[in-house]
Amino acid sequence: MHSMMSPILFYAACAIGALGVALAMPRRAVSPYLIGAIVGAAALGLALIGLAVAKPDALPNFHFYIFSAIALGAALRCITHARPIYSALYFVLTILASTGLYLILAAEFMAFALIIVYAGAILITYLFVIMLASEGPTEEVAEAMGEYDRVAREPWTASIAGFVLIAALSTMFAAGSSNLKLNPELAVADRHLDVMPKRVLAELREAKLLPDDSWGLAINGTNGRYDINPRLDGQGSLTIASNNGTGERQLIAQKDWPKGLSLSNTEGVAFSLIDAHPGAIEIAGVILLMSMLGAVILSRKKVEMDEEALRQAIARERSAERGDELGIEGPYATPGVGQGGAA
Amino acid sequence: MNLLSIAPTLAQGPMPTEMGGATLFHYLLVSAIMFGLGLIGFVTRRNLIIMFLCTELMFQAAGIALIAFSRFHLNHTGETFVIFVLTVAAAEAALALALVVLLFRRKETLDASSWQDLKG
Repeated sequence: MHSMMSPILFYAACAIGALGVALAMPRRAVSPYLIGAIVGAAALGLALIGLAVAKPDALPNFHFYIFSAIALGAALRCITHARPIYSALYFVLTILASTGLYLILAAEFMAFALIIVYAGAILITYLFVIMLASEGPTEEVAEAMGEYDRVAREPWTASIAGFVLIAALSTMFAAGSSNLKLNPELAVADRHLDVMPKRVLAELREAKLLPDDSWGLAINGTNGRYDINPRLDGQGSLTIASNNGTGERQLIAQKDWPKGLSLSNTEGVAFSLIDAHPGAIEIAGVILLMSMLGAVILSRKKVEMDEEALRQAIARERSAERGDELGIEGPYATPGVGQGGAA
Repeated sequence: MNLLSIAPTLAQGPMPTEMGGATLFHYLLVSAIMFGLGLIGFVTRRNLIIMFLCTELMFQAAGIALIAFSRFHLNHTGETFVIFVLTVAAAEAALALALVVLLFRRKETLDASSWQDLKG
């Protein structure tokens, strides 16, 4: 904790944050949510200042601070807004801001998947249900907001418990993340380039790194794969060989590689998903199938027929049966069966 | 403070070791605060839909932590896990919202405490 930010400052920020969130909760009397919001913002600012003071070299990265401030502010408003629709819209804002955080972390694929799936699909479902399952305005009450929306349940206890949890989690995160070391074995720096020889060749050809068109990628004698060895520290290399019978080989150092010769984030995620975790997709598919079945079963409705419709349905069935016996082609008798009965 | 000098940290490129100027702890802190807010919301709010919205907030916090770890270790395993989180969130939304609509049809209210008799 000491290396990351001053603990006293952080715990003070947590206490003020708990106060702010509790004040911002909707309540029976006039909700002092403006005061709550100001106090909450002060706590957030205190925490961010604490971070920035402890790490002055991190200051230039103001994108992180902007996106996280928007995300957390919108999250606060999402849990305190009395109207469900606004809550859902603030949640969309949280999603969009955390998408910004994903982009800073170079996870472009997940960022866009998040916008499409979360903000685009899941939240629209929520909005549908909010509109479906809310009482419309009546003659007496124009403001159709239930008591359960206007008054929060135990705001003080909940926010104190929540912020104690936040303080404990953050202390442990600080201790753990300062001990964590990068394991180069786990890191993948374009490790999968050797399964994409055509793309590598095209990039090399475009950068005019091949002496002439007869040159191709060399195959490593020991493992039989293309000899492309990218490394995290940029000291890797790849080998090209001429195909005109001379067996000539040439090394291209990683620092001379063309810019396009690296896996994009989407390709990296794809390789991770298909290559390293093939079972994950299957399980995800089964989960989605099960939830679809569950939703169908939950939302199925027993159709109540009124008396007249029921009588008509029975009459229709009877006449069909009789027609079958007499060999008349009724609506339900198939032609073959009807003729067989007549004969 | 030159915008152009930090722009490459926003794009992909060959993964730089620096996490865009902020450390792993910064992201974990944001994740912890978001999770806490989601938890507070889940406990305090009485509207069934908002309660499920708060669980989505907690899912989102877990997602940020996973992506940050994925970036820290310079591999894509965390991102693969976020796809999983997204799947579970979608499944949860579909089931939970179907349930909420069912419960609303029974009692014409979204109040969670109107189902207190389920305590037995």
